[in-house]
Amino acid sequence: MTRQSPKVGVYGFTGCAGDQLMILNCEDQLVDLFGATEIRSFLMAKSDNHEGELDVAFVEGSISTDHQEKKLKDIRARSKVLIAIGGCACVGGPQAMMVGDGKWEERFKKVYGNAKITVAKPNEAKPIDAIVKVDIYIPGCPIDKSEFLNAVSKLVAGKHPYLYQFPVCNECRWKENPCILYAGKFCGGPLTKAGCGAICPTLGLPCVGCWGPTDDLNVTSEYQLLKEKGYDPDEVMKKLRKFGGAKLAELVKDIEKKGAKA
Amino acid sequence: MRELSVENLARVEGHGGITVTLDGKKVKSVTLDVHEGPRLIEQLVKGMRPEDDLNVIPRICAICTLSHRYAAIRGLEKALAIKPSEKTQLTRDLMMLGENVESNSLHTMLLALPDFLGYPSAIAMLNDYADDVKRALRLKKFGNRVMEITSGRIVHGENPVVGGFGKYPSKKALEEIKVKSRELIPDAIRVIELFGSLEYPAYSEAESLFMSVNAPKKEYGFAGDTILVSNGKETSAEDYKKLTNERVVTHSFAKRSLYQDKPFTVGANARMINMGKRLDGQAADFFKEHYSDKWLKNPLYNDLAQAIEELWSLEHMPEVCDRIGSLEDTPIEKPTRTTGSGTGAVEAPRGTLYHHYDIKDGLIDVADIITPTAQNLDDIEKHMKLTAERMLADDKKDEEVRLGLEMVARAYDPCISCATHMVTLKRI
Repeated sequence: MTRQSPKVGVYGFTGCAGDQLMILNCEDQLVDLFGATEIRSFLMAKSDNHEGELDVAFVEGSISTDHQEKKLKDIRARSKVLIAIGGCACVGGPQAMMVGDGKWEERFKKVYGNAKITVAKPNEAKPIDAIVKVDIYIPGCPIDKSEFLNAVSKLVAGKHPYLYQFPVCNECRWKENPCILYAGKFCGGPLTKAGCGAICPTLGLPCVGCWGPTDDLNVTSEYQLLKEKGYDPDEVMKKLRKFGGAKLAELVKDIEKKGAKA
Repeated sequence: MRELSVENLARVEGHGGITVTLDGKKVKSVTLDVHEGPRLIEQLVKGMRPEDDLNVIPRICAICTLSHRYAAIRGLEKALAIKPSEKTQLTRDLMMLGENVESNSLHTMLLALPDFLGYPSAIAMLNDYADDVKRALRLKKFGNRVMEITSGRIVHGENPVVGGFGKYPSKKALEEIKVKSRELIPDAIRVIELFGSLEYPAYSEAESLFMSVNAPKKEYGFAGDTILVSNGKETSAEDYKKLTNERVVTHSFAKRSLYQDKPFTVGANARMINMGKRLDGQAADFFKEHYSDKWLKNPLYNDLAQAIEELWSLEHMPEVCDRIGSLEDTPIEKPTRTTGSGTGAVEAPRGTLYHHYDIKDGLIDVADIITPTAQNLDDIEKHMKLTAERMLADDKKDEEVRLGLEMVARAYDPCISCATHMVTLKRI
């Protein structure tokens, strides 16, 4: 029996287009990628796009207008599997760093003044799972080529992709890097999703947290450990909010609740 | 009244469309609509430390990530009175050469060329132009590799920091760049020959003004402290507001730029017009062969300008690598003050990019970012309107007019994410 090549769509919302660019950056695999799948829609790469039923939709970017919300719902309705690619789609991205502080409208006014907006209604940026169900998350700012290609080849073979479930510290140990935290500098490694290959600590620089908060179960104790080591929790949160977006806000609330109980 | 629109402009970075409003054959207006959502990045970095700002702002755009990082570094270092070492300076030059090769090869061969040859995408060209598509991918991959070596990652690398680099490229990596950049020169020449052989429709022709940085030492380059205007004027980058005159227009949320009340162009063609005579090597020969007065009128020549520039970037890499390799590593320079202001100007592949910062007691007080695409928007619309008028007068079909307009918009290599780092443009 021959397997039909899956119908794929690649979409982008509010962000830097870096995750779509990373797909185009798979120079050695690009021709095969377009061969093994039927790319029905990929506006950044081609003009002949057809919007219909899809096996897999890759969605980049956060949602920040009502128009985008509608479009995302439409993509969800015609896709069997919907995959969030990149930090903006997964957690909201840098534009969601102050989510929930109640000052978004104030910031918006500072940029736009009292300009009348009549076409689309802008909102504070949200991750896509605030609007629709997401089946698979591929984190990263931007996504990693091999993690993306791995996911695609699993999907082409009809299997579920495996993604990292541990923090950057694990990858950093594999590289045998000296720990930056022990050198007295704050590093986002313990609270950040792995998958990048611990690039920044390998360069001698602290992890900036760009893959968003890890799902690792030990995150509460790691957060407490940072506190014990004398790192100011407010500073820690300020640093990690840059990429943690809406998810980090939830996570911290959760940690603080547990901390209060303990 | 009727509308002729391109709902979703394909093969550009970000989300935009084109709307032409017609009254019979008369073109009432042509707009480049931007469907990006607001991000308010400049507001969000307020109160941050410079190093944190530097993590966030490259995320304005993936294709110009290193240009954003470098413009910010230049602005922040001026504000904090930091003088980078020669090794740092040269390594930054190298990363800019890498981004230029990556972005110019992506734009010319994979995004713009399909229009000229009548294909919907570069992938669709594979059957007939396999060698050229593969050539483009080779060049792009190498540009990415240079970005990876210098910045730590293909996109959004964190290695270049205020005051220096986390780690300098190894001797081995520099050698790799030297060898490979020489190997790829025939590919870059073929790209120039290809774009040199194309016909550039004259529908969009109109006088314009061109702006770029003035690279130091009378050399060609991608960063400088003063700005050249093609009318012969030169202005300090610190006075960028006088050049860009950002204004809010009533029909959109995008801020626009005018110089002396006129639209102007930034990008590879502007760089060639202002600094083309400084090119050396084979790039200089190709510039002499292809440059003409038409470049001053027809935005489509930006594609050819990018192709020639890409060759220059490749030819320049071995020398820069040698100089980096001959210097000792230097530590990251520390700020010498905590309060100050500074503007960084660099040439992103698609044009001049400004980052201005006011820093107070070590924290960002004001961030002002003016992107090349935002500066080009008025000029794009001006050339698109003329194109629509002339094509319709020539009895061209709607489909042909649409393609003609798309080609003009695409020629500017627009980065719509960049242009809307803080604003969204919608037609009312």
